[in-house]
Parts: sequence; structure tokens; C-alpha cells
Amino acid sequence: MLDVALVSLIQDMSEKAGVEGTIQYWTRVGESLAKRMGKEAYIGWPSFNVALREGRTAFSIEGEVSALTDLAITDEDGDVVGYIYALKRCVFQPTTLRIRYSVGELPKADQDVAREYNNSVRDTAVCNFCVIHQKFREEVAGNITVAEQALECMQLANRGFIGETKIAENAMKKIGMNPEYVRSLLRNYACVYALLMRGARLKGEVKTDK
Amino acid sequence: MGDEQVKENEVKKIKHVYSRGSEHKELIEDNPFVDVAAFLFLEDIADKQGAAGMNNYLMSLATSLAKSMPEEKYDTWEQFLDAVRRGESTISTFENIITPTDNCIVTTKCPFSRAWSEYTRRIGHFSKIHYDVAEYYNSTVKPGAIDTMCIIHQTFRSAAAERIKVGGKPVRYAQIACVSPEGAKKIAPEEWLPILLEKAGITKTEMNMVLRNNTCLWILYIG
Repeated sequence: MLDVALVSLIQDMSEKAGVEGTIQYWTRVGESLAKRMGKEAYIGWPSFNVALREGRTAFSIEGEVSALTDLAITDEDGDVVGYIYALKRCVFQPTTLRIRYSVGELPKADQDVAREYNNSVRDTAVCNFCVIHQKFREEVAGNITVAEQALECMQLANRGFIGETKIAENAMKKIGMNPEYVRSLLRNYACVYALLMRGARLKGEVKTDK
Repeated sequence: MGDEQVKENEVKKIKHVYSRGSEHKELIEDNPFVDVAAFLFLEDIADKQGAAGMNNYLMSLATSLAKSMPEEKYDTWEQFLDAVRRGESTISTFENIITPTDNCIVTTKCPFSRAWSEYTRRIGHFSKIHYDVAEYYNSTVKPGAIDTMCIIHQTFRSAAAERIKVGGKPVRYAQIACVSPEGAKKIAPEEWLPILLEKAGITKTEMNMVLRNNTCLWILYIG
């Protein structure tokens, strides 16, 4: 019930503080949620991926996340510096469904907030909730170390409730991933992102530099 | 086919459609991320606007939620009660209830309890501000809340009841008692209790028995 009530607050807040105000609120909540979940340290990628599978990392709050270990991200020397991860179901989907069956349709502010975020921050949101969700992931990644190196999160692709998609092609170029391949992942997953070691010298970045 | 039969078939058809909706609702599980984020969102508001500001926000969001749902009209109290029992009325759409009498409603499990347990499991102790705001609500609005979840819930019920008419008259809601997920209890003031229990059609002993295994006790009646 809390989530459905919150969505009606989004409409109210967007009317009073503007959609920019809602984005600021969501961003702060994403930061605060990540901060309050604390720090984590893993000796290597296998231990992190096992923790993720067993629901022990802060990322597990999102629901069923799969580590696509066949999609390793390597640096210019060919060392593994990260992996691609995929969320089975959008965290906002149950709320959307509950609204559908109890209220009717999502308030207009949902798409207004997403549109403003895409124009002013980054073109990766399919609904208002992507704002907090993506910020949360970025902050959580910074709180986790793998082999004593802090992580960085890159949003790659996501699919909304009515099938709209967002593909972050620049981010994919950086990690040397084919956008078409990631697009195909959206058939089975709602959201795809990369976790990699902060500061890693990626193949894609090297090519761009040259 | 007589008029009676036509009406009966119509009711059956409507019930069937509604029931499908209820089945869908049963299948939707909360996502802990959204629930925990919602609490932090409210805490962020409290940081900036204090207990009074947060209370206003909670009441405003609950009222606006009720207003965003369709109005309801029933010919008789039995029809209304039937819809309430099946979770098809706005007022019971978010909760699982039982009805010991025709006016007494008991919520078996707080619809916010999962969100609360996800918060305490993943973040830690439930922030003090949620109890402070409830104190503010109890002293300025109505004495019936344990925490911020109760403010949303009770305001929602009150606003939803106003949008329901039975036999042309608006339905009224009153809170009797509730128990929080951590076991704290809030019962209506002693001087109100006899009137509320009389309307509910239960005794004080029965009220305490109900509160042992359930989370919220409230009444609906015609104003």
C-alpha cells in the first residue's frame, strides 16, 4: 500500500515542486538508501557473484539479479575487471500492477519525471522510479570493494512496463559490448547494468583515446 | 427471464470481473526496494519540514490516493459489506480483513508490515521520526496512530469512506485500536471506547482477544 500511496505523492509533489524537485528528492533518497546499507568487501569476483546469488549484497534488495558471468568485461591487458548483471523484474513492476488493479493508471508525473531526467541528467529512464534506482546502484557500487578496489556501476539497458526500452550505447562502447546483444537480453530481463572496478582502463576507452 | 433473474445475472457478472481483479492483486508481491525507498523518501521530507510537515504530506498523499480511486455506490449495507469482505471496495482493497459483526472490521495483517520488516532487516532500527510524527498526529488530528504507517492508513480509510455511499448516505469510519509490527498497541481514548465498541457490536474483552492475533480494529457505519 505504501508504494501505491507514494505514487500519488509523486503527482502531488511534481505539481508543487516541479518535476526537477521530484528528481532531486529521488536522487537524495537513492544516495541515502545506499549509504544506510553500509559497506561491503569481497576478495574477488567469484565471492562477490556468490554473495549476489545468495542475496547477501546490498544489490539483492532489488530482487532476482543474475550475474552474466559469460559476459566478462576486460581491461586493455585482458584482465577481468567486471561483469554484466541483469535484473529479472523491474522493482517498480509490482507497484505498477497494483496501481493498475486498484487505482487505474499511473499518474502523468511518472512519465514527466522520466522525460525530464532523460533530458537533463542521462537518457536512461523509462519511468520515474529509474531515477532513484539508478542512483542507488551507482552509490552502492561505490560502497563495495572487490579485491580492494571500489566498484563503479554503468547503466546499460532497461525495459519499461509497456515495452519501451532505453539503451545506453555510449556506456556499451566503453566496455566493448555489442548493443544488439544487450538489447536481446531485454527479452528475458528488465534491466541490465555493468559492475566494474573503478578506474579500470577499458578496451573501449583505449580505442576512443586513439 | 424475470427482472429478478436479470439483476441476479448482472450481479454475478460484476462479481466475476471483480473477483478476477482480486486474484491478480493476490499475485502481486511487494518489492522491498520500493517499500524501503518510500520510507526514506518520507524521512527526507521530515528532515526538511519537521514532524508537522511530514504529517501534512502523509495525510495529503493518503487523501489523494483515495481520491484517485473510483467512487462507490451500494443499495444496501449487505451489498457494501459483501464488497468489503471480498476486498473489492476501495476501503478494503489494500488489506486482508475479517468482519466479526456487520460494522466491525478487523485487519488481519498490516499492509505495511512487510515494508517495515524489510526496512528493519536491511537498514536497521525504524527511524524515530516515524513515531514522533505519529505523536504529532495523535495530539493534533486524532489519537489512533502508533507510527507514520498508521497515519497513511487511517487517513486513507477516512477519505475512502467519504467516497462511498450506501442507500444514498455516506459511510463513516472510526478507528478503535491497532497493534504495530513490533507489538506496540494504541487503543482509542477511554472516554470514546464504550461508544465505539457499541457501534462495533463487541465487548472490551472481545476487542482485546481480537488484538492478540490481528493488527487493526475499526468500524464502518452510516453517518
